[in-house]
Amino acid sequence: MSLWNWLALGGAAVVALAAVAQIRRRVTAAAAGRRFFRHPTAAAGLFVLAFVVSLALAAPLVAPYRPFVQIDITRLANHAPSAQFVLGTDPYARDVWSRLVFGARISLGIGAIAMLVAVTIGAGVGAVAGYFRRWVDMTVMRLVDVGLAMPRIFVMLMAVALWEHIALPVLVLLIGLTGWFGTSRLVRAEVLSLREREFVAAARALGAGPGRVIFRHVLPNVAAPIIVSAALGIGNVMLLEAGLSFLGMGVPSPAPSWGNMIADGWPKMAVAPWAATFPGLAISLVVMALNAVGDALRDALDPRKETL
Amino acid sequence: MAAWLVRRLAASIAIVFAVATITFLVVHIAHGTPCGPSEARPLAPDVCERQRVRFGYDQPLGVQYVKYLAALSRGDMGESFGLHRPVGDALADAIPNTFALALAALLIDFALGLALGIYQAARARRLGDIALGNVALFVNSMPVFWLGLVLLLVFAQWLRWFPVGGIHNPVLCPRLDSPYCLLDFLWHLTLPALTLGLVAAAGTARYQRAAMLEVIRQDYVRTARAKGLRERRVLLVHALRNALLPFITLCGLAFPFLLTGAVLIETVFAWPGMGRLAVSAILQRDYPVVTGAALVTSTMVVLGSLIADVLYAVADPRIRVRGA
Amino acid sequence: MPTARTLDRLTTRAALAGLVLLAACERRSGCGGDYCGTLVIAAAGEPDILLPPASEFAVTRDVTEQLFLKLADLGPSGNTVGDEDFQPQLAERWEWDAPTTLVFHLDPRARWQDGPAVTAADVAFTYDAYTDTLVNSSFRSSVRQIAAVTTRDSLTVVFRFRQRYPEMFYDAVYHMRILPAHLLREVPRDQWRSTAFGRAPVGDGPYRFVAWKAGESIELAADSTFFLGRPHLRRVIWRFTPDQQVAVTQLIAGDADAVEVLISPDNVQRARADTQLATYPYRGSAYGYVGFNLAAAGDTTKPHPLFGDRELRRALVMATDRGRLLHNVFGDFAKVPPGPMSQLWWIWDPDIRELPYDSAQAARHLTRSGWIDSDGDGVRDRDGRPLAFRLLVPTTSAIRRQYARLLQEQFRTVGVDVQLDEVDFSVFNERARAGRFDALINVWNTDPTPSSGFPQTWTPAGFGRSNYGRYDNPTVDLLVDRAVASAANREQARRAWRGAIETLNQDAPAVFLFATENVAAVHKRIADVRIRPDSWAALLRTWRIPADRLTDRDRVER
Repeated sequence: MSLWNWLALGGAAVVALAAVAQIRRRVTAAAAGRRFFRHPTAAAGLFVLAFVVSLALAAPLVAPYRPFVQIDITRLANHAPSAQFVLGTDPYARDVWSRLVFGARISLGIGAIAMLVAVTIGAGVGAVAGYFRRWVDMTVMRLVDVGLAMPRIFVMLMAVALWEHIALPVLVLLIGLTGWFGTSRLVRAEVLSLREREFVAAARALGAGPGRVIFRHVLPNVAAPIIVSAALGIGNVMLLEAGLSFLGMGVPSPAPSWGNMIADGWPKMAVAPWAATFPGLAISLVVMALNAVGDALRDALDPRKETL
Repeated sequence: MAAWLVRRLAASIAIVFAVATITFLVVHIAHGTPCGPSEARPLAPDVCERQRVRFGYDQPLGVQYVKYLAALSRGDMGESFGLHRPVGDALADAIPNTFALALAALLIDFALGLALGIYQAARARRLGDIALGNVALFVNSMPVFWLGLVLLLVFAQWLRWFPVGGIHNPVLCPRLDSPYCLLDFLWHLTLPALTLGLVAAAGTARYQRAAMLEVIRQDYVRTARAKGLRERRVLLVHALRNALLPFITLCGLAFPFLLTGAVLIETVFAWPGMGRLAVSAILQRDYPVVTGAALVTSTMVVLGSLIADVLYAVADPRIRVRGA
Repeated sequence: MPTARTLDRLTTRAALAGLVLLAACERRSGCGGDYCGTLVIAAAGEPDILLPPASEFAVTRDVTEQLFLKLADLGPSGNTVGDEDFQPQLAERWEWDAPTTLVFHLDPRARWQDGPAVTAADVAFTYDAYTDTLVNSSFRSSVRQIAAVTTRDSLTVVFRFRQRYPEMFYDAVYHMRILPAHLLREVPRDQWRSTAFGRAPVGDGPYRFVAWKAGESIELAADSTFFLGRPHLRRVIWRFTPDQQVAVTQLIAGDADAVEVLISPDNVQRARADTQLATYPYRGSAYGYVGFNLAAAGDTTKPHPLFGDRELRRALVMATDRGRLLHNVFGDFAKVPPGPMSQLWWIWDPDIRELPYDSAQAARHLTRSGWIDSDGDGVRDRDGRPLAFRLLVPTTSAIRRQYARLLQEQFRTVGVDVQLDEVDFSVFNERARAGRFDALINVWNTDPTPSSGFPQTWTPAGFGRSNYGRYDNPTVDLLVDRAVASAANREQARRAWRGAIETLNQDAPAVFLFATENVAAVHKRIADVRIRPDSWAALLRTWRIPADRLTDRDRVER
């Protein structure tokens, strides 16, 4: 790694710190914000996320090599961590650190997009089911039951088996499409209780259509559980992506997703453990940060349940 | 209670039925019938003929669907392309192995998760609690298969305390018929079960800690303390009993996690269970096995949540009122 | 309440009790003497079917080697010319009635394991099966010079050849394993690839079939009455693993006794450092290559839109730095082959001319033939079609997966986009045979001589079977025929082979990546380990475990 890379790395850390500080200053005005930061790991989790995101954005500056470049396959394969290769090189003489940084783009990107798809569908379906009740609710919720009965990885594996090769966007979409069941259940429950509240009844009495009521009055008030399930959802997607890639059915080579990196590194685990260890640690750390932030958010946004 | 149970049971059966229908449709839409002329992976002619008669592949989709369901109700899930045997037999061999793994993992999960949760609740907000809480959160965030790979490297390849995979010693213990072989089996079981159990236990501990804290705050615990009972007794007898209630739900929730995790863990540890069967069937495009495995897994998930619900209802009378 | 001390003592006691239990359950009694022993072989990949003419898998060959005999087998010299160096197996002796008429006399002691004697009719039946188009055996092209096989009496069988040539005896005995006519006659020929016999075969070899657990293992047991001498190892078990690296891991962990190859230098190092293992280097019989499909994927009547173009193939060969790739994967345990050949073949010659590695020239070639990166996405294109293809790779082979990733990057640097299709070995095999691929990474375990090994894969004789890419050049075919005919005269044959291979190299139907130098590893308690390079398990029946080295695994009665 060159001096520039180190400087960029430091810069990313500073940006992340500043971002966390900024957020803290903004939100502590509100009670929820204070509750969030009272959580012992919330600030740390937020920092980890901000740091990883800024690394991903600044990847070309932070990473000394392009992620797919095989630097010197005869002499620099399975190279132990050193000053030049801070996290070592993998069996293909690719810089693990560079792949990790660029991989953050893919892994986090998949997590974020798939989660967005899942949460959008989940919130929409849940709100509709909860608002209309009766047969709509019945049908939709039975469908959700079915969806929840099939382990997600099985559904994904079946999809991959049925089509010979799946392009990355389709994969992301599929992950999203198989991930909304839980969210919809959550949202439905909230909507069911909200529906009976005065302000919703008032809106309806004033002649607002179902669309307007759902979008203007109901959904904004169930934002809390949606945000929480989104935070936890990204982590789940990242774990799923890693598992699929490990089985050779995820992100196609040579894209450096973290799951791919584990899959590429593990045949040489005995000689070069770093190639598969660091991406695994990275996933664990980010998912942990997401969980911590998710927990803190839940406590902050929902003062009824306090787990501390 | 009886009516509630019947309704709950009917719903479960409906779900399994729906899963069967969906897998049938999806495979047919994407893939056609296994003996079609454009088939990339042709079955042997004799197997094809048997299949054709049994499942009516030359008949309209509706007829095929009925035949499929009829066969399914007899436990007949067709013939595997790759294993040269009925799918039902292959699954019947694999399911006990997956169950053994899931059960062992569940034991580790509960034992460790409970102990940690109680300890943390007792030490709430002190150093031990915070440190353990963070470790648990970290472990709970690991990719299960990655933890498996790391444990495999350290304990099987470097230290050689455990075997690198498989379910038994194929020479000394092809069957579980002596105490020695039971030990051999447990020895093979340790690492995969530990991997799954650790990750699950980390989640359980967090849950249990919160449940305990909730209970500790309540009046009867304060009363017990006021009576002068020792802290240990208060925690283990009075608080725990009530904090165990949500734990039952957790059992139902842990089950799908263990089955999902098993898909990857069985691959890592060459454990001949359902997960590995399904993964290799998928890699070999062995559709009958894929659908069979999906169906059985879904059934188990549904069954798990059903049992959890029933247990919960038995344990907590309030549910019955709400349900009835 | 137990204190820490008592707790300690308790655990110690529990551990001791466990150990005692363990010791009590260990089987000290059981098999003893010279004919005990169990060998567990860790293998990547599983046989598709245990019926020799219907399978091309190397692991099928290893298993069926123990189950079915040939008429005669290759001697230790490995010489395939004439009949002097061959050793009797099913045939106790043979003579030439005429220059093209070969008469075998079967050993009257030979028996099928279900009772009946092995007869001349079985041999005639076997020949008929191997040449049947419905069975579509890969070995059909190898026995094409045999005109007829007839029986004279129940123990005498006559081979008639179309013409006289130096390796005719080899062709008569090496390719065919004699099959039991009484068990297979009723099986329709188009169902040989799925017959129940192939899942539970009955043979005449040193071992008999015991069990096949799909996805797990195949077990064989020694036939103590085997007429050529009782095998020393009582049981042989193949344990199947998802890939070669896992096989090596199992060996090093002590879960298996033998692997065929250690593949990578770091594995060899680990095996040599292991006090329980002995390593056995032997000449490699395998070569690996990226094969281009010259016909359109899935339609053999049309040329492939990319690889139908000879210039493009040549550019891709020149763009591949085979030496460096090889060093990354194998270290010193393989060589870059100068064409389609293993190190086992006598025609191996580093001076054979081939296309040089020259990525600059490759790039110029591509540019000249119109492949230019016109949209700046890093991938060349022509008439709106990007220079991109899919590379088919089996997941069971760690080596090939590694090569695939290296090649992907190598081709990227010259503006060619490669996507990997990593599939299970069975799927790989089917797609390869059916021609449903753009390019694939394949490995052949070669016959001991190019005379039979080469035509199977690089002439039209192998269309629809082992010539996956459908390479066809009449000049090559002509030179090969000449080489085969002159095999007795080494210099003449060498010139013809050289001409054929240099012509083929100029056509660039494949990038020849590696020719292995194999190192097998076997547990030290096993003595008399002899490995024949053309088929590593061929001499398994002579391996033994001395009585004083038997372990529980060897003694156990089951």
